[in-house]
Amino acid sequence: MEQRYEGTPQAAIRLEGRRLIRSDVTNDWGLRLQWEVRRNGQVVATINARPDVAYEHSDTAPGEYSVVLQMWHYINYAKNPAGEFTASRFDNISNVVTYRI
Amino acid sequence: MLNIGNEKVSLCSGLTRRSFLQVGVAGMAGMWLPDLMKLEAQGSVDGSRARIKNCITIFLVGSPGHLDTWDLKPQAPSEVRGKYNPIRTNVNGIQICEHFPLMARKMDKIALIRSLHHRTGATHENGQRWMMTGHDFNADAVKPHTGSVISRVFGPKSELPANVILPGPIGNTGAGNFHGQTAGYIGSAHEPFFLGADPAAPNFRVGDLEVPAGMSASRLDARRELLGQLDQLQRRTESRTTQTHDSSYDRAFRLLTSQRARDAFDLNLEPARLRDRYGRNTFGQSCLMARRLIEGGVRYVTVNHFDTVFGQTCWDMHADGGGLNNTYLDYERHLCPQFDWAFTALLDDLEQKGLLQETVVAVLSEFGRTPRLNGRGGRDHYPNAWTNFLAGGNIRGGQVIGSTDRIGSRPHDNPIEPPQVLASIYHGMGINLDTTTMPGPGERPIRLVEAEPIRQLF
Repeated sequence: MEQRYEGTPQAAIRLEGRRLIRSDVTNDWGLRLQWEVRRNGQVVATINARPDVAYEHSDTAPGEYSVVLQMWHYINYAKNPAGEFTASRFDNISNVVTYRI
Repeated sequence: MLNIGNEKVSLCSGLTRRSFLQVGVAGMAGMWLPDLMKLEAQGSVDGSRARIKNCITIFLVGSPGHLDTWDLKPQAPSEVRGKYNPIRTNVNGIQICEHFPLMARKMDKIALIRSLHHRTGATHENGQRWMMTGHDFNADAVKPHTGSVISRVFGPKSELPANVILPGPIGNTGAGNFHGQTAGYIGSAHEPFFLGADPAAPNFRVGDLEVPAGMSASRLDARRELLGQLDQLQRRTESRTTQTHDSSYDRAFRLLTSQRARDAFDLNLEPARLRDRYGRNTFGQSCLMARRLIEGGVRYVTVNHFDTVFGQTCWDMHADGGGLNNTYLDYERHLCPQFDWAFTALLDDLEQKGLLQETVVAVLSEFGRTPRLNGRGGRDHYPNAWTNFLAGGNIRGGQVIGSTDRIGSRPHDNPIEPPQVLASIYHGMGINLDTTTMPGPGERPIRLVEAEPIRQLF
């Protein structure tokens, strides 16, 4: 029996100073939940968001930061020769917040 | 195999939901009360002193690598220690993999057994049979699943069967059909009840357990009479010791007609937020259903995390590039988070319902994985050492039992074998293993399991 995933996960995130706060996830698939942090459009960190609803990114390099909550979306376990998934992927499940340093 | 109309009904390899309802449970009402009363009278079972009344077993089909999960060796060479870092838990001195952050906060409730091993071949089925039955395989005398033994000793507490396996039986894991999830020689009355449906499916409805629309009371009674005749036929095919005292299908029909029993299977009665907390996936919703079934009176629930090791994400991390291509990426994105989320939800939920103290939660698997990474970055089967764990009931959490050597290749101290784990569950449920026997093949009385409980657990 292939694992089935019900619904579409969604959450809301907000910024308090530089501290990120997330809501609970509705339709939570229970898979990897992570903060994806970009600086000037480049991914600089992916942090496990399960342990806590709050996170503060410690990087203080100047730039435009954007953060979104992502969850692993399992479609199948197929991978390419380099070992990367070909169909399964991380999906954005929240709004995006930005701040500038 | 019996055929009822167009329906094939398995008699020796587990009952499906549908066949359970159609064939009944071969006189479920008849056997256990005399067994329990007799055992209590002779002092073999003291249910009043047992703090474990129920058991939920989560079976991690495929088997996690112990060095990547609950027995990390950060000082070992890189080809041994693997990719992950250990994190601290809420118990001083106990560390586990970084991908179990929620479990790490509950280590005070969990007893890790890090020195498990078995001495038979490294097939999934060998490990499954050891951990499901406590016995090595013997095709002439198929050993009963632990839940079937509990069914035989204690019987049901309600309209629900005593032994349920979710969401379905283990299927193809490579080397045969005997996975240890049948009642074996103790008879079909104690076969596990397989849900046989996906509780995370949008169209999953407890209506599957309802009387079909348009079936009148008289037709139901007629079917009951027919099934009673089939029961007589089945009883004639079983030995005297596995026969039931009655030929009643009352329990099957009570399940069919009991609102309480149907409600136990109805996840729509749970708050959406709690369903989210378990994870909206087959495994998470099966864990939630396990709690509902325990609450409804089932004594022993097994949740199979996956039913095969082929062609899908599971714990069997060979990284072979083909049909067994699970890798570290599957572990960190899928398997560890999914387990961490559902397992901790189950512990929290049982505790909030007041059920944790009387329900042991056993997380079991077939074996460990090779200490050295293979050439593709995976790990292969390894029965010489692995880690499983228990929580709840009268299990003393916050401890590690046994250890492995510096590369996780062998037990270093307090080696533990699978029958000892099952003996511990039986012991915790108030069963005296020295005086409680089962009718084995040829009606010869045999012990439930040839092992002593792990005293350190209690």
